[in-house]
Amino acid sequence: MGIKKVGTKSQTIIEKIFFLDFMKGLSTTIKHLFKRTITVTFPYEILEPTIRFRGVHGLRNVDGTEADDFMSWIKKLKIKPPEKGETRCIACKFCQAACPVPELFTIKAEKLNVPEDHPHHGLKILAVFDMDLSKCMFCGLCTQACPTDCIIHTDIYDLSSYTRRNWVLNKEMLSQIADDFIARRGKEKFDEKSKWREDQTVWPLHEEDLKIRAKLWDGNIPQLGPNYYDQSDKTTN
Amino acid sequence: MSWISVEKAEKLKQKFENLTIEENNGYLTVETPKENLINLLKTLKEDPEYQFKMFIDFTIIDHDTKSNPRFQGVYILYSPQYKERIIIKTWAINEELPTLTTLWTGAKWAEREAYDMFGIKFEGHENLVRMFMWENYPYYPLRKDFPLKGYEEVELPSLNEEERGDQLEGLFNYSRMHTAIPTLQDLEITQKARMPKKSSQIVLNWGPLHPGTHGTIWFLFDLDGEYVQKCDIIIGQLHRGVEKIAENIGYQQFIPYTDRMDYIASINENHAYVIAAEKLMDIHDKIPEKAKWIRTLMAELSRINSHLLWLGTYALDLGALTMFLYTFREREKIMDIFEGITGARFTINYFRIGGVFADLPYGALDAIESFIKELPKRVDDYERLLTRNRIWVSRNKDICVITEEDVYDYGLTGAVARASGVPYDLRKIDPYDMYTEVDFDIPVGDKGDSYDRYLVRMEEIRQSSKIVHQCIEKLRKFSKNDPYFFQSEDPKKLKISIDGRGMKLPQGEVYASTDNPRGELGFYIFNKKAGIKPYRVRIRSGAFYNLQIFTKAIIGRPIADAITLLSTLDPVVGETDR
Ligand code: SF4
Ligand code: SF4
Repeated sequence: MGIKKVGTKSQTIIEKIFFLDFMKGLSTTIKHLFKRTITVTFPYEILEPTIRFRGVHGLRNVDGTEADDFMSWIKKLKIKPPEKGETRCIACKFCQAACPVPELFTIKAEKLNVPEDHPHHGLKILAVFDMDLSKCMFCGLCTQACPTDCIIHTDIYDLSSYTRRNWVLNKEMLSQIADDFIARRGKEKFDEKSKWREDQTVWPLHEEDLKIRAKLWDGNIPQLGPNYYDQSDKTTN
Repeated sequence: MSWISVEKAEKLKQKFENLTIEENNGYLTVETPKENLINLLKTLKEDPEYQFKMFIDFTIIDHDTKSNPRFQGVYILYSPQYKERIIIKTWAINEELPTLTTLWTGAKWAEREAYDMFGIKFEGHENLVRMFMWENYPYYPLRKDFPLKGYEEVELPSLNEEERGDQLEGLFNYSRMHTAIPTLQDLEITQKARMPKKSSQIVLNWGPLHPGTHGTIWFLFDLDGEYVQKCDIIIGQLHRGVEKIAENIGYQQFIPYTDRMDYIASINENHAYVIAAEKLMDIHDKIPEKAKWIRTLMAELSRINSHLLWLGTYALDLGALTMFLYTFREREKIMDIFEGITGARFTINYFRIGGVFADLPYGALDAIESFIKELPKRVDDYERLLTRNRIWVSRNKDICVITEEDVYDYGLTGAVARASGVPYDLRKIDPYDMYTEVDFDIPVGDKGDSYDRYLVRMEEIRQSSKIVHQCIEKLRKFSKNDPYFFQSEDPKKLKISIDGRGMKLPQGEVYASTDNPRGELGFYIFNKKAGIKPYRVRIRSGAFYNLQIFTKAIIGRPIADAITLLSTLDPVVGETDR
C-alpha cells in the first residue's frame, strides 16, 4: 500500500531575503497575464449545450421515426392510432412512475366520444399532460422510462419566469418544444428509430460552436477520436 | 475483507451474555442488551484483540409504533489496527440510551441528531439539544408516524397567490400550507440553548449567511479578546430530510436526491449510494467491468473538480483572489466534459444501481485525456503561487492542529484524517469498483495542521489524475458493444432497470461507504422485507463529522483562524444537513 508523506522544507535565508517565494509566485501570474481570455461573453456568444444536455422537456410527435414496437404499445393501451403530427404519448404514465417527484405530472387519457360503429370506438386519446417544471430535477429518469420515446430532454435551459404558473407546461407547449428541438438538433441526438445515436459526440461539432468552445479550452480544443478500439472514426463535418 | 470475522465476534460471547451475532452477506452485526452496551463498546475499543478505536457512525432505526421496544440504536465502529468494521445494535428501552460521549467525543453530534430526529434521550449527554431543527420544534421528523410532507401549519403565500388572490385552479392551485418555520424568538432560544454557559459579554455570530462560511452554517464564538474560548455551530438551515425521502421512494429514484447533498461532488454521492444498494442486492461483483471503469474514472474526475473548487475558494478566503480564477478555469473544462457525458454539469445523476445509464459519447476519452495531461502542470503552477509563499505559510502552518487521537475520537475521515497521519482511505481499505486495479498512493501529513491539509489535498489532485490516466488506458481496450449496465440472468427474481421501475431490493442490511472528497460517505440501508422502497436509509456524512472537530480545533485560536480551519475542513452544507 503506497503511502506518501507530504511536507515541504521551511524557507531558507536566501529565499527570505530575496523574496524568492514572491518572485516565483509572480512568475505564474505574469505568465497568465499574457494568456488568452477564456470567458465566453454571454449573451453575445452563446455556447450550444451538449447533445445529451438535459434541459426543458418536450413531447415528440409521430413523424415516422418511431421504434418498431410503437404500434403494439398503442394497441396495448387502447389508444387511437395517431396520425402524423399527433403526439406519441400513450398516457401510460411510466414517466410519472419513474419520476422522483411524481406529483409534477398530471396525465389523463379520455375515451373518444364516437358512435359505436366508428372504428375508433372505445379507444382513448391523451387529454391532459401537464408538467410542473418548478418541481423538476432534470434527472432524466422520465425520458429513460418512456416506451415510445415520446418525452425527451431538449437543450433549452433558460426557463426563468415571473410566476410559478408559467413553469407548468401543457401538452401543446411540450409538443411545440419537441418539434422545434427535433428540427434544430434531432439528427445529432436520435437515430431513425428515435433511440440515442450511438455516435453522439461529447460536444457539438459545428464550426461556430467549436470556435466558442475553443476559448473555454484555452484556445486548444482537443481533437475528438473514437473511445474504444472497434469504434469507427467519425469524420468531423 | 473489511468486516470482523465471525470467530472473532463469537469470542465476545465469552465475556458478555446475551449477545446475538448475525451474519448477513459478510456484514456482521452484534446485538446486545442495553445494560451491557457501554461495557461491550469499551472492551471493543480498548481490548488489544479488537481495538475498534475509530467511531464511524451512530443512528437509530424506528421499528414503527407497533413494535415494542420501538427504537434500535446502531453503532458502526472501525478498527484501524485490523482494518475491520463492526456493527453493534441495541434496543432503546423507554426511548433512552446511555451516552457514548464518554468513549468517543465525536458521538456528541450523532446523538444530538438522534434526539432531534427520533426523540431518543441519552443519559449523561452534556448538552442534549436539537441538531438541525430549532429548539421549540415539537416533532421528531424521522419517526415513522411523522408524515412525509410534515404537519402543514404555516401559510406562505406564493407569488401566484399574491397575484391572483384566491382565484387558483387546477395545477396553479399550489398547496398553500407549508410546514412550520421558526420565528425569531425560536432562533434566539436555540442560540441560547446551544451555548448555555457563555463567559464573555458577547457571543460573536458568524453566518448563517456569510460568504466565508460557504453555505448556511451559523457559528457561535465565545471570545476572550480575539481568542475563541468556546464554539458551537448551528446547522440545519439546509436540512431537507433526505433520509426521510429515501424511505418513501424507489431505489433508482433516490439517486437524484443524493446529487443534492454534496452538490460539489455529486458523482461521488451517487457512487456511494449505488454501491451500497448493489452490495445489498449482492451484485456488486457482477457489474460489467466497463461500467466499473467508467464509474471509477468519473468519480476521480469529480474529486479533482471538488478539490479545485476547494482550492479556489480557500485561497480566495485567505486573500489570494487569482487562485480562484485559475482553478475555475480548469473546473470549467471538467464541467464541460461532464455535460457532454451525462447531460448535466452539476447534479449529474449518471450512475445507476447496476452500472451507468449510457455509454461514453464519442470523443469523451480524448477530451478527458487532453484535460488530464495539462492538469499536473497547472497544479504545479498553483503550488508555485502558494506553497512557499510566506503569507500563505504563516496563515496555515501550525494552525488548528488536529491530532491522531482526534481523528479516531471524532470519526474524521478523508483528507482531514490523512493530514493527521492516519492513512484512512476506503479506496484501499474497502475497495469498490476498480480501485483494486489502479495504482495510487495515499498522501498523509504528519502534523495535522491546516498546511498539511492543504498539501494532502494538492497531492490528492495529482494522485487522482494518475488514476484517471489508468482508467482511460483500460477503457480504450474495451469494445463499443461491451455492456455498461448489469443484465439480470433471471429478471423474474431480480429485476433491475435503468429507470428503476419495478425494481425490488431484498431484505437485509448493508453498510457501504466510499471515499469522497469530503470524507467517508456511508449508506446504511436496512430493509425489513424485500420491497421497492427501503425501510431505513442512514447517510453517514463525512462533512458532518468533519465539521464537528471545528468546535474543538478552534479553541484558543484567534478568530481569523476560523476561516482557515473551515476552509481546510471543507464541509458542504448540503451534505452536513442532508
Ligand atoms: S427530469 Fe426527473 S424530475 Fe423531471 S420530470 Fe423527468 S423524472 Fe421527473
Ligand atoms: S412515459 Fe411516454 S408515453 Fe407514457 S405517459 Fe409518459 S410521455 Fe406519455
